[in-house]
Amino acid sequence: MSFISAENVSFSYSEANKNVLDDFSLKIEKGEFVALLGHNGCGKSTVAKLLNAMLLPNDGVVYVEGMNTADEELTYDIRSNIGLVLQNPDNQLVASIIEEDVAFGPENLGIEPEEIRKRVDESLKAVGMYEYRTHAPHKLSGGQKQRVAIAGILAMRPSCIVFDEPTAMLDPSGREEVMSAIQSLKEQGITIVLITHYMNEAVLADRVIVMDGGKVLIEGTPREVFSEVPLLKRHSLDVPQATELAYRLIGAGVRFTKMPLNAEECVEFLEGVLK
Amino acid sequence: MSLIEVKNLSFTYGIGTPFEKKAVDDLSLSINEGEIIGLIGHTGSGKSTFVQTLNGLIKPTEGQVLLEGKDIWEKPKEIRKVRFKVGMVFQYPEYQLFDETVYKDISFGPANKGLSGDDLDKTVRRAARFVSLNDRLLDKSPFDLSGGEKRRAAIAGVIAMDPDVLVLDEPTAGLDPKGRDLLLSQIIGYHRERKNTIILVSHSMEDVARVADRIMVMNRGKLEMLDTPRAVFSRVEELERMGLRVPQITRVMTILREKGYDFSDGILTVGQAFDEVLSLLKKEGKL
Amino acid sequence: MIRDVSFGQFMPGKSVIHRLDPRIKIVLLIAYIVFVFCTFNFVSLAIVSAATIAVILLSGIPFRMYVKSLKVVIIIVLITSLLNIFYGGGDPIFEWGIIKISLSGIYRAIFVSVRIVLLILLSSCLTFTTTPTDLTDAIERLMKPLKVLHVKVHEIAMMMTIALRFVPTLLEETDKIMSAQKARGADMESGGFIKKIKAMTPVLIPLFVSAFRRAYELAVAMECRCYRGGDGRTRMKTLHMKPLDYVSVILSCLLLTGIILCNIFLAPII
Repeated sequence: MSFISAENVSFSYSEANKNVLDDFSLKIEKGEFVALLGHNGCGKSTVAKLLNAMLLPNDGVVYVEGMNTADEELTYDIRSNIGLVLQNPDNQLVASIIEEDVAFGPENLGIEPEEIRKRVDESLKAVGMYEYRTHAPHKLSGGQKQRVAIAGILAMRPSCIVFDEPTAMLDPSGREEVMSAIQSLKEQGITIVLITHYMNEAVLADRVIVMDGGKVLIEGTPREVFSEVPLLKRHSLDVPQATELAYRLIGAGVRFTKMPLNAEECVEFLEGVLK
Repeated sequence: MSLIEVKNLSFTYGIGTPFEKKAVDDLSLSINEGEIIGLIGHTGSGKSTFVQTLNGLIKPTEGQVLLEGKDIWEKPKEIRKVRFKVGMVFQYPEYQLFDETVYKDISFGPANKGLSGDDLDKTVRRAARFVSLNDRLLDKSPFDLSGGEKRRAAIAGVIAMDPDVLVLDEPTAGLDPKGRDLLLSQIIGYHRERKNTIILVSHSMEDVARVADRIMVMNRGKLEMLDTPRAVFSRVEELERMGLRVPQITRVMTILREKGYDFSDGILTVGQAFDEVLSLLKKEGKL
Repeated sequence: MIRDVSFGQFMPGKSVIHRLDPRIKIVLLIAYIVFVFCTFNFVSLAIVSAATIAVILLSGIPFRMYVKSLKVVIIIVLITSLLNIFYGGGDPIFEWGIIKISLSGIYRAIFVSVRIVLLILLSSCLTFTTTPTDLTDAIERLMKPLKVLHVKVHEIAMMMTIALRFVPTLLEETDKIMSAQKARGADMESGGFIKKIKAMTPVLIPLFVSAFRRAYELAVAMECRCYRGGDGRTRMKTLHMKPLDYVSVILSCLLLTGIILCNIFLAPII
């Protein structure tokens, strides 16, 4: 069985509303980095909350390491195993001192004080915020706050972290800080689910899933997915500029070798074409 | 004649406290009527402070802001009048919505300006049209709108004051690509019809490159560049040293130029790059 | 600006006062407040003032921070001391029309203003040297016995923690919304009281809406971090009484003895 598996899930927020998710299935393996794309209202955030038992499916089942999220006795095991980082960094921090905020999760889990201390220090170091441990959150930049929020999740020792548009409210340098933190978590073997609008972030994933109208539109490696430029454009999604240029050149009759996803690959691509 | 003239403007926060910080440092420039200025800079570069001096929300500690040749602080009691001429849309403007209906909320600004009756109705509906809010939405509570609609309603609230200068601080922040494209095209449409001056503050070089006539770059409170997008984006290295990222396509074309390929400087859009590559390919007979 | 108010702001440091157990600090603050109001003659007032100055010096917080927090109450101090001077009763030493000033009135004014100042200085010292979380934590622990009376001690403490966390955020937000409405021509400075209250509607409504939105999002975030009330919850920081804490208690007892002796052997002035 997969690490996380959602099987034929349907979900609506109330009976009067139409389904946000419709017969949606998803499998995620341990250690994978999956990016979830789609415009607002396509059901991405609902998926995030279904994975950590914040929401329960109307139909279908969600399993996390074999645990059914609908089993109330397992709710907290699931939530500590599948961390969720939300969009607005301000509204995720509970305490007025960074280290005490990071301790909040493990404290809720009833962990021994010395162990909490150890986890807090480790988590803050993992996101590069250890020097700020005694600071107040409101004096930090957006990117720093979001890294503290990540540390707060990390301190629960989850095997997977779901990020729901973690960079949407940040400036470009904040975005870079958070993305490099996410990548280093991935290297430590933590499974990553990243919900984002930014294609430059999605290209870093092992697998990209594009959602539309509560269903999976396409999925595959970033290269496979972003090669579908017309499909993505039709659904008002961006493609990286590098990919778009290559796509248009191919349309004009240029023969291509490998679809570029970032600036470096695009330079390579163009050099190949121009040689 | 230039519409806005800024002379040796400085602003220091918290004078005499340990948090004293010079946010804007001896800045001079002039902005012409009818142009779109893109203002870019790293967080903390002073851009938000600078734009708030333009409508008198922040009083400069030194220097002057001249609007149509007159110092806006000449009569401090009449500073409110300046705010109707220089409209300001803040970041996440949807958080300022407050009235019972969208219609009433949009009319807040123009009513403060003194409009009433038919004039008020006309200006509210016109502003709503610019951001494609239909009549059905106008009678709804602003809190029942979707995220993108709220943003547009809030922008309409400023447009309705019919300002000669419209300042937009990160208008597309937090929107999805669809919402962003829609909003940008509405701003351009509004500009074409109203022909007023627009100052667009943004982190997104792609957005700025798409709409601006001139780009202004701020760093540590100082004005570093004010030039055409092409000229600004041809200075990739300097921009990156200020912590700014040029559009991906600009980076690609700059690297290739440095490698000796004959491309023009400061390419900003995929379209331009496409044309350049294609004409080079044709010239060399490779296509 | 509202944000300039320094009263109640934690200032990091490593002083003796910083290192005291927050529970002890709260208990001692309450004790000192009682001491301050038990001063009936200049000697005891001087003793308490000296103790306060000692505490302030030990705290290592720049003196101007204390001055700043006094600014908030300066008007209250002035009004109460004026009232005491003019309505102090006793034999007038100065008369002009209806104004009668007596020696006891002046004494009373001095005592009242010094007491208020000491009160503010001591409580500022507590909030300057104790993190808000330590404070709420200490209050939670001190109030624990009240659980028997079904007082929701943990919930109250959690509410205080969250309130403290969001005060700066909401102040900043108020500033932003005010600027945004001013940019739309809102006139918040002119007009009478009623007009000013009315003019605040465009600020207050968005502020409430935003506070509710934040509260909702925070609740979600807290649930995601396995929050389920106080039962079974542990704390990273445990509080233990250290030698320093015992020393502070002993010193305070000495102070109390001094004041009691003063009150027994010296005649009260007020």
